[in-house]
Amino acid sequence: MSGRYLLAKIGQAIITIGLLIVLNFVLFRMMPGSPDRVLGRNPNVTAEAIQATRERWGLDKPVIPDQLVAYVASIAQGDLGYSFVYRGASVADVLADRIWPTVILFGLGELIAIVVGVSLGAYTGWRRGGPIDHIGNGASLILYATPYFLIGMVLLLVFAVGLGWFPTYGMTTVGEVYSSPVNQLADYLSHLALPLATVALGLIGQYSIVMRSSIVDTLGEEYITTAKAKGIQDVSVLRQHALPNAMLPMATLIAINLGYVIAGAITVEVVFNWPGLGTLTVDALAARDYPVLQGIFLLLSVSVVFANLIADVMYQFLDPRVKA
Amino acid sequence: MRLPLRGRIAIVTASAGLVLALLLPAASATAADPLILRTGSTQTVSGLNPWQVVYVVDFEIMTLNYDTLVGFGPNVDPVPGFAESWTKSADGHTWTFKIRPGMKWSDGQPATSEDARWTIQYVLDAVKKGQTLGAGYLEPYLTAAGVTAVSAPDPQTLVVTTNLNNPLLLQSYVPILPAHIWSKIDPKVAATTYPNNAPVVGTGPYQVVEYKPGQFVRLQRNPYYWGQQGAEDQIVITTFKNDDTMVQALKTGELDYARDVPATQFDQLKSAGGPITAVEGVSNTFYELAFNCYNKPIPGGGASTLAVQDPAFRDALGYAIDKQDIVNKVFQGHAQVGSTQVTPFQAGWHVEPTDVRPFDIEMAKSKLDAAGYPLNASGQRLDKQQKPIVLRLSWPGDPSEAKAAQLIVAWFGQLGIKVNATASDEAKLGQQILPPEAGGKAQFDMFIWDWVGDPDPTSLLKVLTTKEIGASSDSLWSNADYDALYNKQLAETDDAARHQEVGQMQQLFYDQAPYHILYYPSQLDAYRTDHFGGWRNQPTANGTPLFQFGSFNYTYLTNAQAAVASPSASAPSASSAPSAEASQAVVSTPAPVASQAPAPGDTTSSNSSPLLLLGGLALVVIAVVGILVIRRGRASAEEE
Repeated sequence: MSGRYLLAKIGQAIITIGLLIVLNFVLFRMMPGSPDRVLGRNPNVTAEAIQATRERWGLDKPVIPDQLVAYVASIAQGDLGYSFVYRGASVADVLADRIWPTVILFGLGELIAIVVGVSLGAYTGWRRGGPIDHIGNGASLILYATPYFLIGMVLLLVFAVGLGWFPTYGMTTVGEVYSSPVNQLADYLSHLALPLATVALGLIGQYSIVMRSSIVDTLGEEYITTAKAKGIQDVSVLRQHALPNAMLPMATLIAINLGYVIAGAITVEVVFNWPGLGTLTVDALAARDYPVLQGIFLLLSVSVVFANLIADVMYQFLDPRVKA
Repeated sequence: MRLPLRGRIAIVTASAGLVLALLLPAASATAADPLILRTGSTQTVSGLNPWQVVYVVDFEIMTLNYDTLVGFGPNVDPVPGFAESWTKSADGHTWTFKIRPGMKWSDGQPATSEDARWTIQYVLDAVKKGQTLGAGYLEPYLTAAGVTAVSAPDPQTLVVTTNLNNPLLLQSYVPILPAHIWSKIDPKVAATTYPNNAPVVGTGPYQVVEYKPGQFVRLQRNPYYWGQQGAEDQIVITTFKNDDTMVQALKTGELDYARDVPATQFDQLKSAGGPITAVEGVSNTFYELAFNCYNKPIPGGGASTLAVQDPAFRDALGYAIDKQDIVNKVFQGHAQVGSTQVTPFQAGWHVEPTDVRPFDIEMAKSKLDAAGYPLNASGQRLDKQQKPIVLRLSWPGDPSEAKAAQLIVAWFGQLGIKVNATASDEAKLGQQILPPEAGGKAQFDMFIWDWVGDPDPTSLLKVLTTKEIGASSDSLWSNADYDALYNKQLAETDDAARHQEVGQMQQLFYDQAPYHILYYPSQLDAYRTDHFGGWRNQPTANGTPLFQFGSFNYTYLTNAQAAVASPSASAPSASSAPSAEASQAVVSTPAPVASQAPAPGDTTSSNSSPLLLLGGLALVVIAVVGILVIRRGRASAEEE
């Protein structure tokens, strides 16, 4: 694989990110409404107070070019600015606090969904037409069609409220004094279980269906017939010949899905009060906290560009037919 | 991967053993934990800096951290706070407060009148420079009382001088801050970006020790608190993004108190009974249908018709609003029909207007005709410029506002007035309604929004004055008589005279109708009585226990699970609060729940069963994977 290809891809990625930074800024400022208006419902507020707030937030200068230039310059220096809502806190701090819960939730969720979804899809594709296929495919379709928040609320009602096996909200039990690290881990795990199940179930449906159709496609290939004719066992044919070829669309799908993390995060996190980027986005949107919103979407855009870059490069290794 | 069979079995056994080893200690009993009161609301905390308070939850945290000079008693009446007692001079312009001796800040430093003097002087300095402190919600309490100077002649005495003679100084919601900490902070940032990080230092009953922005606040008992100590060692106030989850958490026992329960859930909780008490408190909020009353032309903006400026037009529309219907349909009855801009909470000041408008579409039509707004041939109502009247209606996104708007569209439609209704949000709508004095174009005809009040009606009376156009006035209404009455009542020394003036303001407001007050939504809260007892409402007769004024109700709570569960806590040095009233206020007598586990921190016991479940699941998964791995190894061995 040539280094020039890699450099070209990285160069493209950087240009994309640059454009995204500008677009990011412009889109949010185009939203009607201004953050200082949220302060306006104070019966005792004075016009001077609002003006002072606008000045402090740099909102009194014209959007283009002053605010835009200031924004791009600060991003170049790595300064994401200060939040309007969490007064005095830098955006980097606010994001750092909330990014790990979302990464844990969606990272683990994706992993579980990939393993289970791929296995389920492969098996149902292999045994196409059989009873397992009907049940598996049916379940996958239902899960794919059900929105995250509905899955979440059903799980909440059945397992947390009905059976009482898991807590209903949050990432930890606040104020809890743990007698051992195992107890603390157990607390985290019990809070993680339901949101994780929600994310995993939501994604399993999607991956399973794509995998199934991919396997069905691959099974029609001639090399599969050859392998069977050679007398190789079914399981080996599936694992060593069909699966590697069927995984290619999955790699693309996983990279694309990364872009929808925030959208999914919002619904799941709101249901379970999970302190991640989703709930942060909801708050920031309502309050027009531009710096935080810009920070979140910059983070997201960079991740998506990066993930697609990785997927691009990975294709070189996954599929020898793709030449640089 | 071609490990020999023995290797694979070894790995599987080892992982199963590891899981078992981890499980065993977790199944054992845990040590005694601090007793934690868990409350929840859907509001996001603005931060720990008291000058940045905006929402009710911010005020709640502020009064837990800090004392106010004068406390808020069971009926929001003045009781000892930071000050033990007070006297007023004959002319009412000099107040002398006796500061309780021996008080300490939560960091152990002595708390004296110097701290109170510093705090009030800090506000006065800002006011003199014309600055707004922080979010601007606190210093108006002192300016409304007319405070001009403050001094501390000795550590136990504080003298406050005012230029108005009213009792508002006793209701000032200004926290007394520790001078030894705050005087060292640059005044330019003290009220704005100073984070006031945990652990907060205050003289209140509990101080913040942990704060996660957007998530929760955890407060710990103040060991030096001068008043009664509540049973709870810690308080956790959690922000819920979804009020459904909040109610579910209350049901499972993970939450002790939920504020703002949705009306549909409220009825269910009330009928279910059991350990959950659903309480409906009187409202200190009104929701209004506001009109664009700006009486000067705005090029490129303003209302779509001059009709909305006409009080006769607005009055006629008032007959086409069935407020009782809104209360029934939108709140399932958990609200009161709206009338004046003084809420039911401010009971002493609310005066029902004479000639309340009944819901009568025919009367509305005839009043419109009489006022000069006839129907044209196609059934459209015309204004005095012969244009059909089409009104825009917006609201900042509250579902109750949306439903009320739908009903209004239908009613006004019957009058021949088309209403274009669009949902909006706070920031957008706030921007849209700005008048030229604030740099906007006032591009609206009507909107539905709300205002939240104080114990005193002054703040909500003020938003309708001419002076506030460009600041807090959103109706942009200007009426010289109303302004004159406002100024008169603010300086009024005689209570009866003030009452009369406030009554006149309400009548004038009702007749001129810059707003049609639609409803006063009840405060719907719910709490559990099996963890904590001793809940008291504020006000006693018709309030809710928490998220009102002051934080004394937190100090009356008792541990319902302790063997001795007697709720008869005596009020702390609240000389003005009759104790007979206080014992009536105990709304729930907790029956000692014998079946509950004795350990106060029983959240841990509910953790071990899912843990064991998870452990069991982990073992099953390992077993299944182990079998597959071993079988696969055998199969490929056979192949080769």
